[in-house]
Amino acid sequence: MAEMVTILIDGKPIEVEKGTLVIEAARRIGVMIPHFCYHPKLKPDANCRMCLVEVEKMPKLQTSCSTVVAEGMVVRTNTPVVDEAHKSVLEFILANHPLDCPICDQGGRCDLQDFSHRYTPTGSQFTDTKRVYEKGFFSPLIEKEMNRCVSCLRCVRYCDEIMDVKALANAARSTMTEIVHFAGHPLDCEFCGGCVQICPVGAITSRLSMYEFRPWMMKRADTTCGYCGDGCSLILETRGEKVIEVMSSHGNGRNNGDLCAKGFFGYQYVNHEDRLTTPLVRQADGNLHPVTWDEVLPVLAERLTQIKLAHGADAIGGLISARCTNEDLYLFQKFMRLAIGSNHLDSTARYGHVNAARALRRVQGTNRWTVSYEDIVQADALLLIGTQVTAANPIVGLKVKEAVKKHGATLLTLETLVPSIETTSNITNLSALHVAVPPGRHAAAVRGLVKAAFDENLVDAALSSRAGDYVSRIRAAATALPYPEGLDEAALRAVAKAFAGARRGVILIGQDLLQAPGGHESAVNLLDFLLLLGKLTQPGWGLAPLTEENNEQGAVEMGATAEYLPGPADVGDAAARTQIAGAWKDQPPASQGMHLLEMLDAARAGTLKAMLIVGENPVRSLPLSAKAASALEKLDLLVVQELFLTETAKLADVVLPACSYAEKTGTFTNSEGFVQKVRPGLEPVGDSRPDWEILSSLSVMMGYPLEYGDAKEILKEIRAVIPGYRVLGAKPEPAQVAAKSVEQYLTRGFAEDLPARYSAGAAPKANSHRWALAVGQTLFHSGAMSTKAQGLLELQHEGKLIMNPADAQRLGIADGDRVRLTSTSGEATVPVTMLGRIPEGTLFFPESFREALAGLPSMTPDPVTGVPYCKQLRVSVDKVGTGGASSGPPPARIAGGK
Amino acid sequence: MATHELLLLKNMSQPGYSGSLADYERAGGYQALKKVLGKIPPGDITEMVKKSGLRGRGGAGFPTGVKWSFIPKDHPGPRYLICNADESEPGTFKDRQLMERDPHQMIEGMIIAAYAIGVRTSYIYIRGEFVLGARVLERALAEAYQAGYLGKDILGTGFALDLYVHRGAGAYICGEETALLESLEGKRGLPRIKPPFPATHGLFQKPTVVNNVETLANVPHIVNRGAEWFASIGNPPKSSGTRVFCMSGHVKRPGNYEVPMGVTFREIIYDIAGGMRGDKPLKAFIPGGASAAFLMPEHLDVKLDFESVAQAGSMLGSGGITVMEEGTCMVWAAENLLHFFNHESCGKCTPCREGSSWLLQILRRIDHGKGKMEDLATLTRLCGNIAGRTVCAFGDAEIAPITSTLQYFRDEYEAHIREQRCPFRSQPAPELISVGR
Repeated sequence: MAEMVTILIDGKPIEVEKGTLVIEAARRIGVMIPHFCYHPKLKPDANCRMCLVEVEKMPKLQTSCSTVVAEGMVVRTNTPVVDEAHKSVLEFILANHPLDCPICDQGGRCDLQDFSHRYTPTGSQFTDTKRVYEKGFFSPLIEKEMNRCVSCLRCVRYCDEIMDVKALANAARSTMTEIVHFAGHPLDCEFCGGCVQICPVGAITSRLSMYEFRPWMMKRADTTCGYCGDGCSLILETRGEKVIEVMSSHGNGRNNGDLCAKGFFGYQYVNHEDRLTTPLVRQADGNLHPVTWDEVLPVLAERLTQIKLAHGADAIGGLISARCTNEDLYLFQKFMRLAIGSNHLDSTARYGHVNAARALRRVQGTNRWTVSYEDIVQADALLLIGTQVTAANPIVGLKVKEAVKKHGATLLTLETLVPSIETTSNITNLSALHVAVPPGRHAAAVRGLVKAAFDENLVDAALSSRAGDYVSRIRAAATALPYPEGLDEAALRAVAKAFAGARRGVILIGQDLLQAPGGHESAVNLLDFLLLLGKLTQPGWGLAPLTEENNEQGAVEMGATAEYLPGPADVGDAAARTQIAGAWKDQPPASQGMHLLEMLDAARAGTLKAMLIVGENPVRSLPLSAKAASALEKLDLLVVQELFLTETAKLADVVLPACSYAEKTGTFTNSEGFVQKVRPGLEPVGDSRPDWEILSSLSVMMGYPLEYGDAKEILKEIRAVIPGYRVLGAKPEPAQVAAKSVEQYLTRGFAEDLPARYSAGAAPKANSHRWALAVGQTLFHSGAMSTKAQGLLELQHEGKLIMNPADAQRLGIADGDRVRLTSTSGEATVPVTMLGRIPEGTLFFPESFREALAGLPSMTPDPVTGVPYCKQLRVSVDKVGTGGASSGPPPARIAGGK
Repeated sequence: MATHELLLLKNMSQPGYSGSLADYERAGGYQALKKVLGKIPPGDITEMVKKSGLRGRGGAGFPTGVKWSFIPKDHPGPRYLICNADESEPGTFKDRQLMERDPHQMIEGMIIAAYAIGVRTSYIYIRGEFVLGARVLERALAEAYQAGYLGKDILGTGFALDLYVHRGAGAYICGEETALLESLEGKRGLPRIKPPFPATHGLFQKPTVVNNVETLANVPHIVNRGAEWFASIGNPPKSSGTRVFCMSGHVKRPGNYEVPMGVTFREIIYDIAGGMRGDKPLKAFIPGGASAAFLMPEHLDVKLDFESVAQAGSMLGSGGITVMEEGTCMVWAAENLLHFFNHESCGKCTPCREGSSWLLQILRRIDHGKGKMEDLATLTRLCGNIAGRTVCAFGDAEIAPITSTLQYFRDEYEAHIREQRCPFRSQPAPELISVGR
């Protein structure tokens, strides 16, 4: 219990925690002290001097934003002296202010405007020359109008303290002080939009929405971001049929008002001109033609019924994107299992998250995290393995930064990136201990960690006596292996030791681990690691897989994969089947379902006749060598529900226009298992419909009505069926490790695949292609949707191969040059750029532009989980040309230039 | 007036004294250090300095020994001693001479201070423009390392100290100790909000003492000759010791003069600095650097010590005395000073940032014959809105020239406005203003 202090503010007593700032204490009793520079997220800077108050026994006025409460303190915020002081600061600020409110996008939500109104100055005594800055821009996305700046430095401080980017600074002196970025080129930062959001006036604004609105014209929808699994709360600000901007508010949501480039600048795909607005059907001429819903649905229902009658329900499969809502996902699997009668269904959680979910369920009994974001912030040791967290899960990245920068947590990283000071933040720069792990070697690094737990004598004594057989057999298996070649053994051992010595620690794992061979084993092995340290069941400790797509967690829990019923429960689990049958008043099919790759094989073999694909584009997601297109072409019927006419949709017989998340009602479940509301900001674009509604209509036509009045009714059913959804609180409640599951794992469960999990694995194949190429997430793109967002294209409009500058120099390659990559499966020609954080000998390519790699990657499925691994490959590099027109910046396409 | 013994300027006043280590040692240098290291417990040195009554010579006059004793005794990890050699106050040039002409005196003082407060790493933050001073100090440090006065095992006592010279990049504000710390950390030199104070959260958030050059130069003398001896010099108990005063302006012999505190302005202007140039009458003088309020001929018998000058409504400050003769335009003088302050306002806090240019523009208008009577009320009001409301003391400093000239020379302001010209000049005033860059 924190120590409490009682102070008197304007005659009102209030008890607050020791250490509270006066401005915060005042806010709690409804006294809003005017301020510009203060922000609860930032360290006090007391530069604007707007929040001056009288404090008894202090001769001068005090800044309430930097004054800490003390027992018996008497504060006055509304005396004539204080009032005069506030007016005088406003007078100073307004002296040079251009008063261009009519053309300022902040107009109507501007602190300076509001305070001016409150203090009603009738005129300025300032009659001399106003200081005028020349017009400047930070970048094609961010507008800078320094004449409006109040120099509160919130933007500069945010960029440093929260983002760890330090892209902005204040330069020059006196009244010519201005906010600048590094000179000589446009702003080069993470484009989180934080400076735009945190600016109290109109000095920094978004150019995407410039001059398009007044705040009161916009409708606001509080919803959840549709990009990654971090689950950020955001506000869609819409006008008519268009999203004008995205904001987020401090104190709100899991992101606490912070966003990333995708969240802040990546919304325009929703209003992209290529959105599908009407159903399309392939007609006799072989082309897709627009039709009405009334025309297409009965025909489609009939076709599906025919195929089912002719070939059996098992001839029909389904695939759904984990970007859909829980309601879509739930109804999809119910539709497949009941209306169609097939267990052949899968979701994009198959691309990696299934690896983690299965491991967690097997050992802990729950597929969920046993920790929350708060535990990350409060951890004193964080172990990041293959996360590329800032690019893939930026807001979790901020939690990590907060833990390290604000609370002094020890950061341990087993990542491909290496520390390097550049214009964007690099999480490994904050590492206390970093082990550089080449692409595809994270699984080996994890085995090394388990070995280190023994070699460093870190194993929990209680566990050794309780589960002696488990410990000795893991010991035998793990220590029989040598430490992975090429990794720093001493550093690996030090990491294990530092982590074991923490009071509370969280392991975060990401795509570099889960989407690489050994991904599933590694997740189990990390749970071994936590068990061995005696930490798995301790509060504040846990293994936390991060998801690439916003609702992969939901996809697993809704039962939208071959192996799981809603819950998730195993498809073969008799008790679970009985229970779900009770709720559904019908039995789910008994057959073992096929996962994605198996369905494609079956299509190729001619046993699978029809597929229903919702929001996913396997032709693009899988490499050419997976031959997804040819498999889908062999189907008698391919139905695709989509936003855009994707590569997969182009192969379809029927294309149905679906709503984006901005037009949907429902819920998403984020990485940490927190279920959050999705609310529509827009009416459906064209004739598009929410995915669940399309499936529901289809079920009715097929004579197996799955009827729901709205998405809430589906949620009601979900809540009845799935334990974790019964209570949806305001904050996540981390799952508990099930003692029974752990017991079972320690006594028997661990043994079934022990040799496989602790084998040295396939050593990196020595072939003539000596470069390790990793395909992964970047800061500015996620999946294919982001490449339809104008704002993000301004930041990155093509895929460039990234290599270490030293490598580039050795090869005589300059920024923008083109190289030919050759792998065992093919070749591709791509432009090159350089970053010091990519280690020498390694190459990186952004996944969102993966079509440029065409036939390069080969694919290996996980033998247990069927996850397709295709993101790490070995290539040769040859320079083929110097920088051409293609590498230049895109032409400016945003209105409002100089 | 009676002659007095020089302390700080003594060595350099000897013919042929080069400031080299050999010269310094010949003059008795580093004897204090030898007396202290390993022989006197660190706490006793702090007590000695407390007892001597030595107060800071940078401007604020804080008791030095008391400052040292604020350093938490058992703080784990590093702590720092910084010598503030960012002497930038207009009319002040004493530290520059102390560093350039007798660097070892201050280095010896630093080593003793470091020993007293348990410092292992120490920095001299020197004004960027003092290129010569930086070179002299670098050479002196090399000599001191060579001679075993610095480094791992000083004089075989096991005490270790590293001393570095860090050059500023040209900002007056970096003389303010917290801005100095920011700058030394590699950041933009902006003052920090206090509390916390440098004694607990200083350089890199570690306990830190920041002392002025002249302050530290006094330390070896106190050690050599005792606290009681030092406390008997000047005007004790509040103003012990000598001060090096920097005489500038309309006097016959401008320059640095070391005198015991407690002499009068009349003595230092008329006896020591040789009196007024051209024997014109004295009009006004700044007693302690540009940040100090103007004083008048009626203050000539005020004593040059902390209390007396404060009582007269100004401050002893940095020891820079700028003297102005009859015929000097006081509006122009204020404008000139504001030009400096406007140029140097760091821009961090609103009243100082916006106020300095506004005040300057008004002064400029009045000086150029475009003033209005209501400008005087605006000047007073704006100064009141800056006083005590800024992050650091700069705000109070920048208004001192205006409030004091308005106090003593309001008639001159009014004459400028009434006549719409400067009554002292037939030609327009030299251009000073460059608002912006």
